[in-house]
Amino acid sequence: MNTTSTRHSRDDRGPQVAGSDKHMTDGTQRRSVGSLPAMENHAAGVPAALTRLVWGLWIGTLVVAAVFVRNDPGWAVDGLVAIDGLTVVMWTVVTFFSGIVHSYARRYLAGNPDKTQFFTRVFAFTLAVMVVVAADHVALFAAAWLAMGLLMAELIGHVDGWPQAQAAARTSRRYFVGSAALIAVSLTLLWSTTGATTITGILDAVGGLSTTTAVLAAGGLVIAAMIQSALIPFHTWILSSMTAPTPASALMHAGFVNAGGVLLARFAPVVTIEPTVMLAIVAVGALSALGGKLLKSVQTDIKGQLGCSTVGQMGFMIMQAGLGFFGAAIAHLILHGFYKAYQFLSSGSEVTHTSPSAVSDHTVEYNGVVAGVVTVVTGILGGALFAILTGKGTIINGGLLLTFFVTFATLHAARSAVQHTSLPATFRYGAVPLVFFPAIIVYAAVYEAISFMLADLPVVTASTELTLLHGVIAVVFVGVYVAIETGVHEGSGRLYVALLNLSQPVSDTLLTSTEDYNEY
Amino acid sequence: MSTEPTLDDSIDSAATTVGSVWPIHSFVTANPLSGFENQPFEQAVTQAADLLGGRGYPSAATFQQALESGQIDPEILESELADRGYEADPETLLERMADADESTAAGDSDTAADSDAERVDAILTKWLPAFLDEGRAHWSMPNREAGFYSAFRALADHDSEIPDAGVVADLPESPTAAIEAAVESYPESQWEPLFEEQLAALPGWTGFIKQRADDEGDWQAEYPITLDGYLAVRLSLLDGFGVDLEPESSFESTAPDTADELAAAFLSAWEATYREELVDTVATESERVAADETATEGAAGRPDAQLTFCIDTRSEVIRRHIEATGDYETHGYAGFFGVPIEYNGYETDVSVDACPPILDPKHRITELPTDDETQTTHDRWAGVREAAAEAIETLQANAASAYGYVESAGSGYGLALAARTLVPGRVHDLLDAIDDAEPDSHEFCEPMVHHQHTYADDLPVGLTTDEKVEYAATAFDLMGFESFGRVVAFVGHASETANNPYDSSLDCGACAGNPGGPNARVLASICNDETVQEKLREQGHEIPADTVFIAGEHNTTTDEIELYDGDVPASHDDDLDQLRVDLATARENAAAERADAMGADTADSRSETERRAADWAETRPELGLAGNASFVIGPRELTENVNLNGRAFLHSYDHATDPDGDALEAILAGPMVVTQWINNQYYFSTVDSGVYGSGSKITHNPVGNVGVYQGNGGDLLTGLPLQSVAAGPDDPYHQPLRLSTVVHAPVDTVEEILADHEELTTLLDNSWLSLTVVDPTRGHDAFHYDGELTWTGEGDIEPEPAAAEPATIPADD
Repeated sequence: MNTTSTRHSRDDRGPQVAGSDKHMTDGTQRRSVGSLPAMENHAAGVPAALTRLVWGLWIGTLVVAAVFVRNDPGWAVDGLVAIDGLTVVMWTVVTFFSGIVHSYARRYLAGNPDKTQFFTRVFAFTLAVMVVVAADHVALFAAAWLAMGLLMAELIGHVDGWPQAQAAARTSRRYFVGSAALIAVSLTLLWSTTGATTITGILDAVGGLSTTTAVLAAGGLVIAAMIQSALIPFHTWILSSMTAPTPASALMHAGFVNAGGVLLARFAPVVTIEPTVMLAIVAVGALSALGGKLLKSVQTDIKGQLGCSTVGQMGFMIMQAGLGFFGAAIAHLILHGFYKAYQFLSSGSEVTHTSPSAVSDHTVEYNGVVAGVVTVVTGILGGALFAILTGKGTIINGGLLLTFFVTFATLHAARSAVQHTSLPATFRYGAVPLVFFPAIIVYAAVYEAISFMLADLPVVTASTELTLLHGVIAVVFVGVYVAIETGVHEGSGRLYVALLNLSQPVSDTLLTSTEDYNEY
Repeated sequence: MSTEPTLDDSIDSAATTVGSVWPIHSFVTANPLSGFENQPFEQAVTQAADLLGGRGYPSAATFQQALESGQIDPEILESELADRGYEADPETLLERMADADESTAAGDSDTAADSDAERVDAILTKWLPAFLDEGRAHWSMPNREAGFYSAFRALADHDSEIPDAGVVADLPESPTAAIEAAVESYPESQWEPLFEEQLAALPGWTGFIKQRADDEGDWQAEYPITLDGYLAVRLSLLDGFGVDLEPESSFESTAPDTADELAAAFLSAWEATYREELVDTVATESERVAADETATEGAAGRPDAQLTFCIDTRSEVIRRHIEATGDYETHGYAGFFGVPIEYNGYETDVSVDACPPILDPKHRITELPTDDETQTTHDRWAGVREAAAEAIETLQANAASAYGYVESAGSGYGLALAARTLVPGRVHDLLDAIDDAEPDSHEFCEPMVHHQHTYADDLPVGLTTDEKVEYAATAFDLMGFESFGRVVAFVGHASETANNPYDSSLDCGACAGNPGGPNARVLASICNDETVQEKLREQGHEIPADTVFIAGEHNTTTDEIELYDGDVPASHDDDLDQLRVDLATARENAAAERADAMGADTADSRSETERRAADWAETRPELGLAGNASFVIGPRELTENVNLNGRAFLHSYDHATDPDGDALEAILAGPMVVTQWINNQYYFSTVDSGVYGSGSKITHNPVGNVGVYQGNGGDLLTGLPLQSVAAGPDDPYHQPLRLSTVVHAPVDTVEEILADHEELTTLLDNSWLSLTVVDPTRGHDAFHYDGELTWTGEGDIEPEPAAAEPATIPADD
């Protein structure tokens, strides 16, 4: 057997294949026709090394977090960096997301000619974020903020020879430079009035700020945060950013937009000076939270939907900050990061074959008194559980609004489950408490853990008075909820067109002529 | 009024140059230049380059690689070049080709008119997906029932991006009137080229509209769109922006330029090099088989089992490995198993056309539950899964609940994120375990094959006995099936991939991008029918009483073969046990070959292929039909001792059982055309990934459940992604060669068939594929089709002495 050696035998490359040719009964080996060269695995060293390094960093941040929890050592390089609870939390989070993106991209970008460059940029971006959350010197903070934005713009324009990707990178770069400039102006103002060159120094001295200075400085920071978190009306950059490779988008939506919330939490003593600033934050946050969802409702492409969803989620997060719950905002941006990174990384699995009749429009159905009662009770219990575990909403303040949202989510899930009349009653009534209540408990644990970590920040929770605005927001949300469930707003062609136009990417980032596309 | 019919005609005729684009959930691998097939290939690609901007040939770098790795025979190349009047050495010519490429690439520039046209494109690519969306948006475009033109007309006033000038400012009620108003200032002779240019401006969306209007599916019935309606909107917008519509004088560059001529020579030489090796092998094997047959006449025993696979190139690999494990006979047949059905699976809202796109389904087959207990288990699982999915869907959709949902579920997503990224193989095992707990529908359902005397979607439900007999007989005739083993399996195929919008491009092309298992079940069920067997025996198909037909499905990602053996009598348990063991061995070996080809650096290729099937970060779960280059029509004996490296479509055929050529006629008119579509799709997706393919997956953005964008949006992408055909840019894995068909039959028979089929000679004469006949009745000589029903070959075509039997030819010459 195997005495006649033939050319191109596949046995001369790769591992020994058990048997296939040996079992030949006629004693001849198969002649190979038109053999193809094996696909080479370009084993690039840089991606592998950086992936190991970033996971190493993650483990390092876990160690730092453990030390920090035992006893805050108050690490700092005087005047340059200061490591506090926010630093430690964000370090852990951003290195985790970055690690996921590194590991994912090692396979996802296989064969991409600029793979090494991609990894270098993602890694550099990770370092920039780490500096942003650790920086104490105002100049270092502003510089790291700018670097973070510029690196993200580079990732949006990752595909070199593709003019639309370059246009998208330019668009986002303008926004990011704008937000960095606003921060620079605000910090300069604060430095000139307080004389402190460090963030800790400024925050210690905010008591002496005049109202005008406080409003101006806070205003600049809030607008910078809005740009960073892609809040309406600064959302266009994020809806034009899908030229970024999918893992870069995941990192953007899980790690980059968050910086808006981090900025507000970091400068909480500045933004909480004037209650009107806080109210304004609640208003712009709520506008995006509602607007993002409405924009999402008219999107037909998956990444556009995810982009609009981020606009809404970041609006909610900023609203939490505006209500004075900075810890809740940080918890939200982390949990949202998990959610949105997952959604992006799995965006290829969303294509389904549907029929026009099966696309259910609205879900308003009456399922009897028992179902109604169970639904309401489940929702209220969910809200109560949330309020007790997190302390939000137990006293009459802005936190009541947050409890309201959890109640709504539970209520809605219960309603949805109850409608499946084909399923056994135990499932219909039991599933939501069984799944949702533990989920609320997990959330509460995350929230409490983060609040614990952030305890050394000057301001973590600033109780805000319940105002008419909060009531209006609650009413508007209920109105939108009912509208989405019943579809009453869908009669307005004008609204539809307005939403569609508001959510369009910048037109020079659209690939209308596919001959422009060039991956290399 | 009288102009209407001619206007419609000229629109239809103008649209022929744009290839149809199928919805991505049922990806059909078609030739993107199908509208040019009535022209010679070289001319077609030049014209397509003018109109659509795509490359027609591989790059100089690709040829360079092929030349260096010995895939282009220098002698053949020299003669191809000499034929076209080039004497310089190949390296110099490749440099010239590369220089010419660069200078065309640099020639693009934007003008003011372009930017207005671009604004029109931007507006259209906003409204087209809004209208054509198939259930993705929560709030769909209003008034879609009225059709695209009317729905657009109703909203145009609200859209501030639309200019308040020209036709679009006050759209007439009928699209035809709008078109006429927009083009009235142009001479009528220019209308058709004008329409052609405008329809080719967004070829992805135009092709999709064209396909949707032709196919008349559910969505089209509910929300109609026509090319007229689209063109009316487009022309009105252009008029509103005051864009000059005068068509560029086309055909200016029909004289082929040097670079194209050189590329054509290199391509032909590359193809000829591959073809010669293949044809030589088939001819040699043909002689050997003829000699063997005389030597062992009548001694052939009954095989352990016979397995029929799809003609798909991936079947070649698994068939080779199955044959190596025992006395198995394998066959190749179109993967829809000859039964053109519309299939409605258990619990699916939508039925799919499980037949090649060149056919219309003729029967409606529904999957019906037969085992109550298993069904109940399944339904319970499925019900919970659906309820959860729906709850999540509505939670995410609503502004009041989405934020609470994300906070409650975020931690869970974090865990899933880590698991799927860091241990994708484990995730596969976990999903497998869940999958096992929930019974698959084929475990408790049967396709309803019997005729029901009812209709669904205008199709008869089930098949009559006569139809069943016909489908079974056709299958055996086409494959030249003469004797039957104890087990005869029909094995369809489907891929298994995660996070892949292009998953259906990896499914069975003969089932229009759907899994082939259901069709295999239908044919197996037909063949097990006592009445059918009785009639088949009357027709001369001697099916022994102990033959059992079973169906199965080949997972082309992991090479696992699942047999649907629910109804197999206990008498065949041992046969099936042995078969299963051997299939497992074959799977290991095939997976090793695959993993090797994909450059996987692992000893455990089985886990590697399973990881690829489940890994959400994997852009190359399998290589699909990449590499396809030939179609061999003949008995398996001709290729069973050959490793064709997964590059050949194989259709079983025995000229001896087909004296009048009817079976061959069916194969050439059906499967050969489908393989040419697939081959051309791979070719063009490889030579121009941006225009004919769909570019890199890393920036893909699926839209409306119908297709994919690059990045933020724009035109719909049409072909295969870069990762399906290449290791990297300029590093194609798929070798872009046109299909070489090799037929094992008397050349006269083939010529007669071609003479009757103008659609085939059109394709062949225009070089969209090539045809070589290895004639067992003429000394196993090869005859290459040379256009216009002429042949070139070793022997001249003169009638051989009628007495010359293949067996008399000496085995070694």
